[in-house]
Amino acid sequence: MYGLDAISAHNGWQLAALGTSIVFTGLIILSLAISQIHKVLELWDKRDSYYQRIKKLVQRKHRSEATVSDPVLPKNVEGSVRQFKLLIEQIGEPFPLPKLLDFSEKCGFPHSHSSVNDLLQAKLIIPDGKGYFLWNHEVEKNIKI
Amino acid sequence: MVDLLIEFLSNTGFALAGYQNIIMILVGIVLIYLGIAKRYEPLLLVPIGFGILMGNIPVIRDFGLGIYEKGSFLNYMYFGVMHDIYPPLIFLGVGALTDFSAMLARPSLMLLGAAAQVGIFVTFLGALALGFAPNEAASIGIIGGADGPTAIFLTAVLAPRLIGPIAIAAYSYMALVPVIQPPIMRLLTSRKERLIRMEEPREVSKKEKLIFPIVGFLLCCFIAPGALPLLGMLFFGNLLKESIVAERLARAARSSIIDTVTILLGIAVGASTQGDVFLTAKSIGIFTLGASAFAVATAAGVIFAKFMNLFLRQKINPLIGAAGVSAVPNSARVVQIVGQKEDPTNFLLMHAMAPNISGVIGSAIAAAILWSFLGG
Repeated sequence: MYGLDAISAHNGWQLAALGTSIVFTGLIILSLAISQIHKVLELWDKRDSYYQRIKKLVQRKHRSEATVSDPVLPKNVEGSVRQFKLLIEQIGEPFPLPKLLDFSEKCGFPHSHSSVNDLLQAKLIIPDGKGYFLWNHEVEKNIKI
Repeated sequence: MVDLLIEFLSNTGFALAGYQNIIMILVGIVLIYLGIAKRYEPLLLVPIGFGILMGNIPVIRDFGLGIYEKGSFLNYMYFGVMHDIYPPLIFLGVGALTDFSAMLARPSLMLLGAAAQVGIFVTFLGALALGFAPNEAASIGIIGGADGPTAIFLTAVLAPRLIGPIAIAAYSYMALVPVIQPPIMRLLTSRKERLIRMEEPREVSKKEKLIFPIVGFLLCCFIAPGALPLLGMLFFGNLLKESIVAERLARAARSSIIDTVTILLGIAVGASTQGDVFLTAKSIGIFTLGASAFAVATAAGVIFAKFMNLFLRQKINPLIGAAGVSAVPNSARVVQIVGQKEDPTNFLLMHAMAPNISGVIGSAIAAAILWSFLGG
């Protein structure tokens, strides 16, 4: 058998088309792979600086998370949070700030002005917008003492 | 006494020689002449040419002298051809000799090496159309890969009887690359295209060169496992070269091993071309198809380079597409010569090495594919 009949009879067209495609695919994959080698090596060589950068990013993220959602009170105020909470429950909400200071001094709380200032900064005591103040129960739930 | 003398004379080559032996001895002399006087691939043509002389000395049958007689010296040498031992060892040396930097610097040029392999499959179709059996057609097609060891490797498993003519055709045409390729390259390119200057390739780091043989080997052999012996040894040789710590082994691979194997292969292949086996209509068909395989492969590479230029901002010189036929480094040198005829200050050799080396990988993959299709 000769000519086109012979090619068709032996699946010549399919073999040639498939063979050419596989050769092309193989070399394309290889060329793609080797075109990335120097980029991967560059990453590897600079791994220390990338590590440092990632480390800094993570630290920054932790710090911002801590300030936003996990407010941490100064250690000297930690103990007074419960005392002030009980005191405010006695006074009743909303309360005027001078009254809270007055009561806290009468009860013998140490450094009451400074402690109230810390509670204000930690947003545990918040203004109600009418000249009075409230105990912030939401912040108290998230607080790490 | 007279009887003894007559018997002796009847056993001499003069009495036993047929016209086929004489023709083949002339062919051997021509190859030796081309190798020595014209310097066409002398390291291949001189051993092959002399092997043809050795194989065509008429000897008494069953005397244990002929290459096809078991136990003969030539038969032992031929064992390495028939059992695919020599081609991978040659690839080991090629790997230890080759610098892959040009290819690593611009991997997109590897596509030209793939395009040139079209010659293999077009010739495969041509051989089928001329009435060759599929396994023979595949062995003839692989001549278009312009890679002697790969051609021998595939023919040994698919059509062992054709090893002689196919190996001679492959190596002869490899030697004739400077004659076959330039007219096709000039025909398919304009002067403006031949003048294109390519940008300097980037510098390739030592680490890249070290990683490449491992990545290349794993990828290629996962895609075409049949290429394992050839590409395994090629990439191993290259790893020896690039690792530096195994320099002694690399030196052995690129000098003594490849030289020894080239001698054994050349003599064995040459000697396998005994007149009565070689001078057949099939051999003429193989030589004709082999020449067309080279021409098609060259044309496919050049045309694909022009096609790539349609999409590239930084144009490539389409002449380098011709280097996609393996024939390392001859076809790359031809590209350099043809390019410099137009512009003596344009250096294309380095750029042409990329498709040239990828052509070696491509032809080994093509051989593995044909083997997997037709070997069962």
